[in-house]
Amino acid sequence: MQHRSFKISVFALSVFVLFSCKPKLDAPAVDAGKLDVSKYVAFGNSITSGYADGALYYDAQMVSYPNLLAQQFELIGGGEFKQPLMPMSSVGYGGAGNSRYALGLVTDCNNVTSLSPKTGPGDFNALGGIATEGPFNNMGMPGAKAITSIYPGYGNPANGLGKYNPFFTRILEVSEYGNASMLAKAAAQKPTFFSLFIGNNDVLSYALAGGAADSVTPSGGAPGTGFDATIDLIISTLSANGAKGVIANIPDITNLPYFTLVPYNGLLLDSAKAAALNAIPVYATVGLKFTPGNNPFLVHDKSLPAFFNIRKMKQGELVLLSTPQDSIKCFGLGSVAAFHNRHVLDEAEIAKIQGAIHSYNNKLKAVADEKGFAFVDVNAFMAKCKKGILYNGVTINTTFVSGGAFSLDGIHLTPIGNALLANEFIKAINSTYGSNIPQVEVTKYKGVTFP
Amino acid sequence: MIKLFKLITALSIAGPFMSSAQGYQVNLQGQVQQGMGGAGTGYIADAATLFFNPGGASFLRGNSANVGVSPTISKGIFLDKNTNQSYTTNSPVSFPFAVYGTFEVKDSSKLKLGLAIYTPFGSTVEWEDGWAGRFVLTRLQLRTVFLQPTVSYKINEKIGIGLGLIAASGQVNLQRDLPVVDAAGNYGHAELKGTAQGFGFNAGIYYQPVKKFSIGLSYRSQVNMKIDAGDATFKVPFVLGTSFPNGRFTSELPLPQVATIGFAFKPNDQLTLALDVNYVGWKAYDTLAFDYATNTSVLSDTKSARNYENTVAFRLGAQYNVNSKFSARIGCAYALSPVQDGYVTPETPDADRINFTLGLGYLVTKNFGLNASFLFTTFKRSGNNIETNINGTYKTNVTVPGISVFYNF
Repeated sequence: MQHRSFKISVFALSVFVLFSCKPKLDAPAVDAGKLDVSKYVAFGNSITSGYADGALYYDAQMVSYPNLLAQQFELIGGGEFKQPLMPMSSVGYGGAGNSRYALGLVTDCNNVTSLSPKTGPGDFNALGGIATEGPFNNMGMPGAKAITSIYPGYGNPANGLGKYNPFFTRILEVSEYGNASMLAKAAAQKPTFFSLFIGNNDVLSYALAGGAADSVTPSGGAPGTGFDATIDLIISTLSANGAKGVIANIPDITNLPYFTLVPYNGLLLDSAKAAALNAIPVYATVGLKFTPGNNPFLVHDKSLPAFFNIRKMKQGELVLLSTPQDSIKCFGLGSVAAFHNRHVLDEAEIAKIQGAIHSYNNKLKAVADEKGFAFVDVNAFMAKCKKGILYNGVTINTTFVSGGAFSLDGIHLTPIGNALLANEFIKAINSTYGSNIPQVEVTKYKGVTFP
Repeated sequence: MIKLFKLITALSIAGPFMSSAQGYQVNLQGQVQQGMGGAGTGYIADAATLFFNPGGASFLRGNSANVGVSPTISKGIFLDKNTNQSYTTNSPVSFPFAVYGTFEVKDSSKLKLGLAIYTPFGSTVEWEDGWAGRFVLTRLQLRTVFLQPTVSYKINEKIGIGLGLIAASGQVNLQRDLPVVDAAGNYGHAELKGTAQGFGFNAGIYYQPVKKFSIGLSYRSQVNMKIDAGDATFKVPFVLGTSFPNGRFTSELPLPQVATIGFAFKPNDQLTLALDVNYVGWKAYDTLAFDYATNTSVLSDTKSARNYENTVAFRLGAQYNVNSKFSARIGCAYALSPVQDGYVTPETPDADRINFTLGLGYLVTKNFGLNASFLFTTFKRSGNNIETNINGTYKTNVTVPGISVFYNF
């Protein structure tokens, strides 16, 4: 009897143990708040398209911030989000006719092998027309400015090379070439919700040319000429059916590795090289002196008298990542031969760019406030990212390659960068519209891929 | 001796996981005491008294041996506050054990020698693949084994004192993913493992002024476990190999001091009531540091603030002797967490907790018997970790069925 009760007790305990008890935690309910995201259209430029590593390609498009947003929107009734995807296996196509960059071992002119971005010819065939698969919710077109996004015929090959946007052409029927605009194609989808993140290229096209080509879009002027009126037109068109939206502002270019990787004083000299430069008669004449160690690079400055129009770069001036590194290291670019305007942004150019960004951002904020739309301060986000964003034990910052936020072109984001950006959108949307949309799980997305 | 010791450590299949007390402390040292909420300092039950109060061991009759195991089943979940995603642990069942022997010294009924081998600290946690905190921790296994030879002396029929010297041996294995990815999508992985040794003591006084009432005081010193030559192994994309060199590391983990006062009250022959109050010197666990022999631009020494606080725990239990063969036990414990807000980690998602315990004793023959124990606790903790920004709620259920056998001779 006693044995039996003991056995029963042991049995009862075993049963209890077996069925004990996975802990459960219930997440707070998702909530659409005042939102209808059944038809979400993303309007913007390359950042919106998912462009990364210097090219538009499938894997990067899959982690575009609007696509990540759309995945979260599914939790509150979001519909299908179509993107004009490049073929899955394509190396992609970039603005310079290049393929996507990938890290590889590169041997430089000094025979030093190191990890550097490598690229090859782009896959132009991948830009073949896909209009029949549309319409596309992701209306982010690489290269689009605010002002060009409303141009009829922006994708018309008849305009001639360099005067149309082949990424936009791709989503058009041939019959639409002549007069389709990005804005019209977006509005035709009758979005119930839209995101607007445009204006970067209104300064970047100029900035990427070192201020030597293209121009900064002025704030004033009619739609298609001035930034402010163009934004008003885009907003009123996209929200015509009562759609709500989220508007993002423009980050300062000094947060982008493209402009910060090469320091103004990156001219590293030993005493022999310093002496050689000091011996150059013109430099001696204008009083340029070089010392062993780090020196500012030399740059042409057309405000100075002809033949003597060379000076040292000033702190705060920026060397572009496109400046050929081998020429700097082995062929005297930036020293024996001064940088040209296209290699650098000088003080005046930076002031012009930052002034424009400042006034664009004032406009974007004003519009968001006026319409009661959500507003994403991407500029503040990037400034924070420059210092480092700590997410679940990982610090992500804007340092080229190792920082993780920026892809190999130094301008566009990595998957993890896009995930962080998408969460900025979600936070802004939740706080404006009373919704509870969970954030993207950032740690599922990677930074730069290593070989 | 050291060889035996290493063998024992290796045999302990896995250390206990955040079980019946705070931090990485494990209070599973005797089945009788476990059944009574973990109280065992103020009364004399069996040879496990070597752990609870070396002063009381001198009151044990004859020689005795006691072997027990407390399989610890721990299930955890984490709900990420930002993403609403939840992740669970796949921690293996661990088997903290205890072996006790007490021996009467010939020609002296007053002197007892004892040997205790037990696992007072440990933690095993393994999170599911790809969980949101994998760059902080994927798996931690911490095992310690204390070997405690003990002398206990009965000064008179009312007072006994005892002292045990502790030689501690430990193993740690800490793993996490690294946020670097190769072309195939594989993340990097780091594994830090090492063995550690440390020394300390366990002392106690037992005082029984009257038959119905007894009191005990015990003090177990802090033991600093030093890892002098740990192995750090990194799996990273090929080109980063030189940035993450495999090599040695050193580290140190304090196992805190514990002071306990225990009371027991026996209103009649059937009933024993016991209360222990522990004071645990967790403040010693201030920082978790890893010092790598080879540092690189991306692999620097780490110092993580833990900032544990000293804590107390209350353990209350009762035993009722049903008849000459059976006894039943019940108990509970309330333990305050040493982990402050902002410092909760996936390695020890600790919280204040209440343990519920049950126990059963069965005397098979006059000298041979079994004790079974059962412990259940559940605890939950929310917050944002200052060091990692992991933000969410951890919940853990722990079930510990235990069994031991004893033989008196």
